[in-house]
Amino acid sequence: MVVVDSETATVLRVKGLLEFRCQLDSTDEQLVRNVISRTFETLRSQVKSESCVLAVSDSPVIIWPNKDAYATPEEITPSTLCEDMHQWIQADEQESSGKKSSKKKSKKSSVASVINLRLMTEVTKPGPLSAPILTKTVLKSHFVSVTLPLDCVVCTGRSDTIKDACEQLIEALTHQLCEMEKVTLQNMKGMTLLVPEPVHFLLPEPKGLVTVVYPVGVPDSQLVAQRKELHQQFELPDDRPYFRRANAYHFPNEPYKDGYLRNPHLALTHPTLDNGKVYLVQGIYSYHHYMQDRVDDNGWGCAYRSLQTICSWFQQQGYVELPVPTHKEIQQALVDVGDKQASFVGSRQWIGSIEVQAVLSHLLGLTSKILFVSQGAELASKGRELANHFLTEGTPVMIGGGVLAHTILGVAWSETTGQIRYLILDPHYTGAEDLQVITDKGWCGWKGPDFWDQTAYYNLCLPQRPKVI
Amino acid sequence: MGRGYIVQDDVEGYLSKLCEQKADPVTGLLIGQSSTQRDFVVMAIRTPQKEESAAAARNSVDKEWVTEHARQVSRMLPGGLSVVGVFIITDADAKDALTTLRQLLYAVENLISSEHLWDPADDDVTDCVTLHINPKTRKTVCRTFDIKDPKSVAKPADWKYQSGLCSSWATVSCSLNVDMLLPLPNNRTSTGNMEECLKEGLKAWAHQIESGLCLIDGKRLPEDSELTVGQRRNVRQTYTAQLLITTENKRLTDVIEQCGGSVSVTGVIHSRAYLHSNKPKARLAEKLLKRDVVSTVATRVQMMLEELLASDQESKGSCRDKQQKELFCLPHRIFCPLKVSGPLCVCDYQFSDEGLSEVTERLKEMLDIDAAEEDLDTRQEMTFEITGCDITPEPTQEKVEAPEHKKNYIGVAMATVVALLATAASMLYLNDI
Repeated sequence: MVVVDSETATVLRVKGLLEFRCQLDSTDEQLVRNVISRTFETLRSQVKSESCVLAVSDSPVIIWPNKDAYATPEEITPSTLCEDMHQWIQADEQESSGKKSSKKKSKKSSVASVINLRLMTEVTKPGPLSAPILTKTVLKSHFVSVTLPLDCVVCTGRSDTIKDACEQLIEALTHQLCEMEKVTLQNMKGMTLLVPEPVHFLLPEPKGLVTVVYPVGVPDSQLVAQRKELHQQFELPDDRPYFRRANAYHFPNEPYKDGYLRNPHLALTHPTLDNGKVYLVQGIYSYHHYMQDRVDDNGWGCAYRSLQTICSWFQQQGYVELPVPTHKEIQQALVDVGDKQASFVGSRQWIGSIEVQAVLSHLLGLTSKILFVSQGAELASKGRELANHFLTEGTPVMIGGGVLAHTILGVAWSETTGQIRYLILDPHYTGAEDLQVITDKGWCGWKGPDFWDQTAYYNLCLPQRPKVI
Repeated sequence: MGRGYIVQDDVEGYLSKLCEQKADPVTGLLIGQSSTQRDFVVMAIRTPQKEESAAAARNSVDKEWVTEHARQVSRMLPGGLSVVGVFIITDADAKDALTTLRQLLYAVENLISSEHLWDPADDDVTDCVTLHINPKTRKTVCRTFDIKDPKSVAKPADWKYQSGLCSSWATVSCSLNVDMLLPLPNNRTSTGNMEECLKEGLKAWAHQIESGLCLIDGKRLPEDSELTVGQRRNVRQTYTAQLLITTENKRLTDVIEQCGGSVSVTGVIHSRAYLHSNKPKARLAEKLLKRDVVSTVATRVQMMLEELLASDQESKGSCRDKQQKELFCLPHRIFCPLKVSGPLCVCDYQFSDEGLSEVTERLKEMLDIDAAEEDLDTRQEMTFEITGCDITPEPTQEKVEAPEHKKNYIGVAMATVVALLATAASMLYLNDI
C-alpha cells in the first residue's frame, strides 16, 4: 500500500478501451489533422454523454456519471461517500451480487486504497430514434482504426461523494483524450500514426500520482526532451529518473507477473532508537533468494542472489533495461572481464563484493564503492556512512564476509547514542514467496550489531546511482 | 424420458383444417420456445405453395423449398420464438413419413443455425420435434431428434394441447443504437466485397453484444434469479433491458491502412424477446434478447445486400476517381400480434418504397396469418425521411437508394440465395443422412 497524500482516502482508477475510427479522404497534412481532431472531439462528447457508464470492478455497482451520478443498485446514491464503496467490492471467490459483511479489515487506515472502474458504453438509450441506414462511400483513401487505452486516476478525500468523484473522473477522461490528441498529432509522420498510451508515476509528496501520455513503441532513449520538460514542470531534480517507463507506478492490487515479492520490508515495524532515525532503501526491489528459478544454489549462491536483488532495483528504477541476470550470466560476465577462468561458468564457486562490483560495472555499466571493515565489530561504527548512503544513493547494499553474504536494505541509527540496527534481506531463505513467513521468521528483518561475526572481515559493495533522467 | 411439448390449442384447429385439404403431403413448420424442462409450441405454419409446380410435383416434398421457407420464417420471428420442428400431414407409411421429416428437420435446423452470428451456448436445447399426422385417422406421431448429433435416433415425445398458453408470457425489449464504420478493401468495392466486410464487422459487433452487461429494469440480476412471470394471468409483463458494452480487442499497431472506401451502419433498432411463463431465468432473458439484437441487424443488412445484388446496382457508372457516397435505408421493423391472446407478435421488415399492403401480403404468404393493416405496429422504429439529405457536395454523384421490389418475395430471395450460397447449399444436401 502506498500513501498518496495524507488527504486521500480512496484512489479511483478508470480503465477502458475506446475505438477510434475515421476515414482520411486526403493525404493533405492539415486536412488529416482536422479529421483526427474531429474524431477525438467525437470521443470526448461520447465520454460526456449519457451513454458513458462506469462499472465498478468486482462489484454490482454501475454508475452513470453524466446522469447526475445515477447508480444501481439503488442503495448507492449520488451522495454516497466514495470510501463506502469498498463495502460493495468482493474479494476473489465471493459472488459479486450484494454487500459484503460489515467485518471490514482495515490494517492501515492512513493508507489510500484503490477502486478500479471499467469504462463502458450503453448502447440502449431512450431518446430520439434515428432510422437505420447503411452508407457506402467509395473513395481511394486511408482508414484509421485504433483502440485508445484510457487509464485515469483520481484521488478523492474522505468527504468526497460519488457525485464529486464522477465530475473528477469525467474531467480526467476528457483531459486525457486531449493529451492523447496532442501526442498523436505531435507524432504523426505522413500516413503513420503512433498510439498514445497513458502511464502513471508516483512523484514525491505532495505531488502524488501523475499521469503522462507517451507514444507506444517509442523507447525511453528517444523521449529525453519530454522527460526534461516534465522534470521542470514538476520541479524535480534532474539527476535521477522519475518518468522512465520502468518508473511506472505499480498499483497495490495488481499482482506482479514474475511472482517475486516486492519490498517485503514494508510489512515490518521499524525500530525506534533514542534520537535515532531510520534510513531506508528508496524505490522498489525484488526479493531474490536460494532455490528460485529452479536453480539449486543452496549453500553457495547467496552473493549471487544479493547481486540479483541489486540488479532488480536498477531495472525497476528505470536505469537499465537488462533483465535480472542468471547465475550463469553473472559467471560469464566475470570470465569476460578476465576475473575468472572459463571453467568458472557452471561451477558452484562463491563470489564476493569485489566480484559483485565487477559484474555491476560490466553488465549494467554501474559504479560501486567498496567499504572494508577488518572486524565485524567495526560495523557498528559505520552508522554514519551507511545512513548517508541510503540518504543519497538509496540503493541496496551487498555485504560479504565470514562465509556469508547478505543484503542491507537500511539502517536505524542514532547520531547521539551510536545505537545501530541493520535491515537485512537474507538470500539464504529456501521457501516460497510467502510474505508472512519471510517477515515472521526474520528472513527480512531488523538485526542488531551482534548479527555479524565479530572477528571476521567484511566487504560492502555500495552501488552508486547514475546521474541521469 | 422423452420431452413434453405443450401446444397452443389453436394449433390443433389449424392442423385439422390442413388435414381437410386435398393436397398430400402437406408440410410445415412448428414455432415455439424450448427450455430445459419443457417445450412450448405456439404456432404451426404450412409450407407455401410453389406457384409453378405441376400437379405431379405437388405430391412430393420439395426439400429446398421447405428449407428456404424456414429460413425466411425465422427472420420474421422476434427473440424467444424459433422454428422448433417440422410437421407433415400425409397418409403415407409412418416410417417413410418419419424419414422425410428427419431429413427436413436437419436441413432446416442446419440452415437456420448456419446463419447465426453467435456461438451456441451450453444451455441451448438441441432437441427438435417432428410431427406426423395422418389426415384420415388424425393419428399424431410425435418424435424428437438431437440436432447436434447427425446419428441421433428418434425419441418419443408428448404432444399436449392447452388453451391460453401464451397469455402470461413476458416480453423483454430495448431500443439499441448501432454505430459501425468499416473500411472497404482497395480496388474492390463491389457489393460482393461490401458483403464480406459487413459480415466480418457484424461478427465483431455481435461478439461485443454477446459479452456485454445486461440490466433488466435497471438492475443487474444474478443469472439464476427468476423473473417474476406468470404470476398474474392476462396481465402484460414487460421488462426493459439495457446493454452496456466494451471494446475487448486492443489494436495498437498497423493502425492506418489504405482502403477503397468505407461502409457504415448507423441508427436505432427495436429488439425484443419473449419468455415462457414457467419460471424463466434472467440468464435466458439476456441470451434471447442479445440474440434478437444481433439477428435483427444482421437480417436487415443481409436483406439490403440481397436486394442490391438482385437489382444489379453495380452496373451503374463506375467513376472510381470521384467520391461516390450512397445512402441505403435499411428496412424497418414492424410487429404484428398473433391472434392468440397474449403478448406474442411476429415481425416483418418494410423497405421504404413498400406499403403496408406488401407487409400483410408477406405475412399471409410466409406465415399464413390474416392481418389487417390496422393491426400492424409500425411505431417501434423510425423511417428515414428522404428530404434534402446533407451528404457531401458532389451533386451528380449523390444517390439515395431504395432498391426495387418484386412481388413474389420468396421467389426473389430464393434466386439470390441460390446465387450466394450455391456451394453451401449443395454441400448441405449432400450431407444428409
